[in-house]
Amino acid sequence: MAKPILTIKKLTKKYGENVIFHDMDLVVNEGDTIVIIGPSGTGKSTLLRCINLLTIADEGQIWLDDIEITAKSCDEDKVRQHIGMVFQNFLLFNHLTALENVMLGLTKVRHMKPDEAKHKALLELERVGLLDRADHYPGQLSGGQQQRVAIARALAMDPRIMLFDEPTSALDPELIGEVLEVMRKLALEGMTMLVVTHEMGFAREVADRIVFLEKGSIVEEGSPEDLFYHPKHERTREFLWKITELYGKKEKES
Amino acid sequence: MKRLIYLAVVLVLVFALAACSASSDHLAAIKKAGKMVVGTSADYPPFEFVDEAGNTTGFDVDLMNEIGKRLGVKVEWVDMPFDSLIAAVQGGKIDLSIAAFNYDEERDKTVDFTDAYYTSEDALVIMESLAGDPPTPENLEQFIIGVQSGTTQDAWLTDNLEATGKLKAGSLQRYERVDQAFMDLQAGRVQVIMSDYVPAKALVDKFGGMKIVYQGVLSTGPMNIVIPDGDKHLQTEVNKIIKDLQDEGFIDALAVKYFSE
Amino acid sequence: MDFMKFLQYIASGTAYTIAVTLVALPSGLLLGILFSILNVYGGKVTQRLTSLYSTIMRGIPPIVLLFILYFIVSGSINLSPFWAGSISLGIVSSAYQMEIVRGAILSVSGGQMMAARAIGMSKNQAIRHVILPQTLRLAIPPWSNEAAIVVKDSSLVYALGVPEILRRAQLISASTQEPFLAYAVAALIYFLLVFITNRLLDALDRRLHIPANP
Repeated sequence: MAKPILTIKKLTKKYGENVIFHDMDLVVNEGDTIVIIGPSGTGKSTLLRCINLLTIADEGQIWLDDIEITAKSCDEDKVRQHIGMVFQNFLLFNHLTALENVMLGLTKVRHMKPDEAKHKALLELERVGLLDRADHYPGQLSGGQQQRVAIARALAMDPRIMLFDEPTSALDPELIGEVLEVMRKLALEGMTMLVVTHEMGFAREVADRIVFLEKGSIVEEGSPEDLFYHPKHERTREFLWKITELYGKKEKES
Repeated sequence: MKRLIYLAVVLVLVFALAACSASSDHLAAIKKAGKMVVGTSADYPPFEFVDEAGNTTGFDVDLMNEIGKRLGVKVEWVDMPFDSLIAAVQGGKIDLSIAAFNYDEERDKTVDFTDAYYTSEDALVIMESLAGDPPTPENLEQFIIGVQSGTTQDAWLTDNLEATGKLKAGSLQRYERVDQAFMDLQAGRVQVIMSDYVPAKALVDKFGGMKIVYQGVLSTGPMNIVIPDGDKHLQTEVNKIIKDLQDEGFIDALAVKYFSE
Repeated sequence: MDFMKFLQYIASGTAYTIAVTLVALPSGLLLGILFSILNVYGGKVTQRLTSLYSTIMRGIPPIVLLFILYFIVSGSINLSPFWAGSISLGIVSSAYQMEIVRGAILSVSGGQMMAARAIGMSKNQAIRHVILPQTLRLAIPPWSNEAAIVVKDSSLVYALGVPEILRRAQLISASTQEPFLAYAVAALIYFLLVFITNRLLDALDRRLHIPANP
């Protein structure tokens, strides 16, 4: 039986009266790529932020491997080292080169020696195909390149799981491919990934499981095959039809 | 505005320092230290000013150096703006201050004064070209007046003309220093300046085209040295020296040296 | 009357002006950075306190603070006029510099903090290695303004008897009756000081500029 890396039980997040999601249950097994889809405003991003404790959930528990990271005694900085996060708008450190961006966590958080950190950072940049851009500043890179550096920055920490929060939605259409390609490669390498995206092609091809989230709760989850061809719920069918239509058009235009 | 700020500061000082008045052995402490720190505002020739070498000199300075000599101590001069001097004496930052101070009831509440060492008079200065009747103490409110802020003339104008409502708004200009007032007189921004007679005479000679139309005692009069509140020992000793210097003609000689040019 | 000697006398006040600025400006910067961080990233209490500090210090005239520190506070601690004046100006400047740095922190996107936390950095590490390096670069142009103000405000220490440029110009103006020349000399020195300061900061700004594609 596959080993669960991330286990979420009865997670609830509210902003005042406004319930973002409630009683969320989700298990991510080692090596799985899980894609979360759903209309905007259904709490997908908030869920990811709750998982790496950038936002604190109101109720419920989260385990990373066997450790309950929602426990009060848990050191949140330590937890985040083991959870890689890629943001929609890249969020590279603007004052640092690509190489320095990847190195920063290694030297300051993992206290590696500079030589060692540089060596590892260069490997990670190579992994995302940006070795030749190591000395460029974020302002000198395209959006796609910036996002790949951001992925390398997260990978450098050797995370147990990678969270992707709509990693391609801020990109021009022609730059989306290079980022998805890197993610696809990671999935093949066996990285455990939890991805929020609207890229249905990616979801269909790479996901082990797709989770359809709407209005703060999971409507349906299953294999891409199940969701795309045999959805159990009418809402799932409607959403997938709409989004495929929308993105299909975009793809053709570009 | 500035006057208000200083007033506020002085008030704060009064409260803060109400408890700690000058120590009774102040004079002994001065003698033991072999020096006394004297504050002045060296922008008021000929009483106090800087010479070409940047040394503080003048009528008050020569006088105080002599007083120091007779007390058997060295005088260390500290220059401050006139407005800071009283606060500095109160705060114990300087031992005493000589800066053509006139006795003043308000000031007497926070510091003490020695006996007078010299008696000065007020002057009203105008441009020679001023048309019409010249100003007198009686019709002064009809003119635009310049005065150095914080001086006894300022207090006199404030009490007699401003507070009584005789003066139109804006017709009393206060200057940080007296030479600024003379510059504005020359520039036509004020019509008459009220100041100490001795420095007024010196400035009238320097600037040219001006004249003194009144000389007499209105606001000023005797000049005294400012010492810490309740400092009887110092007061007695300095008073004695002042008396000696007057009797010996030392002070008259100084007046000739500094005021007759 | 040897006017050259007087000019020299005025110019020799420059050392005081520079010394006061060199104390006030850096101490104001350190306090300003500290308070701006406490204001943006601290709890409710520190936020309130630092905001209050800023409001008060920017609200009272610097000269009043000088007087309080020299004549009242330094009754118990023996501060020389120079130190009392320099520290007062540093405190006043710290409130303005706090606002400069605070504005710069707020304009560095909140995402930078989030990204730093996401790789496991503590808040302090994130502030030190990610937020401040970007913030301080952004703060240089407005800081250049503040530096010019502090250079000129340094003249306030004359109220405590520190013989700096402006006070010397006043004394020379009084003793020579040549106010225009005396003040012109003072103005020229202040101008040169401010000009040089701004040039140095411009150079620093260019040097620290982060490259980006046009």
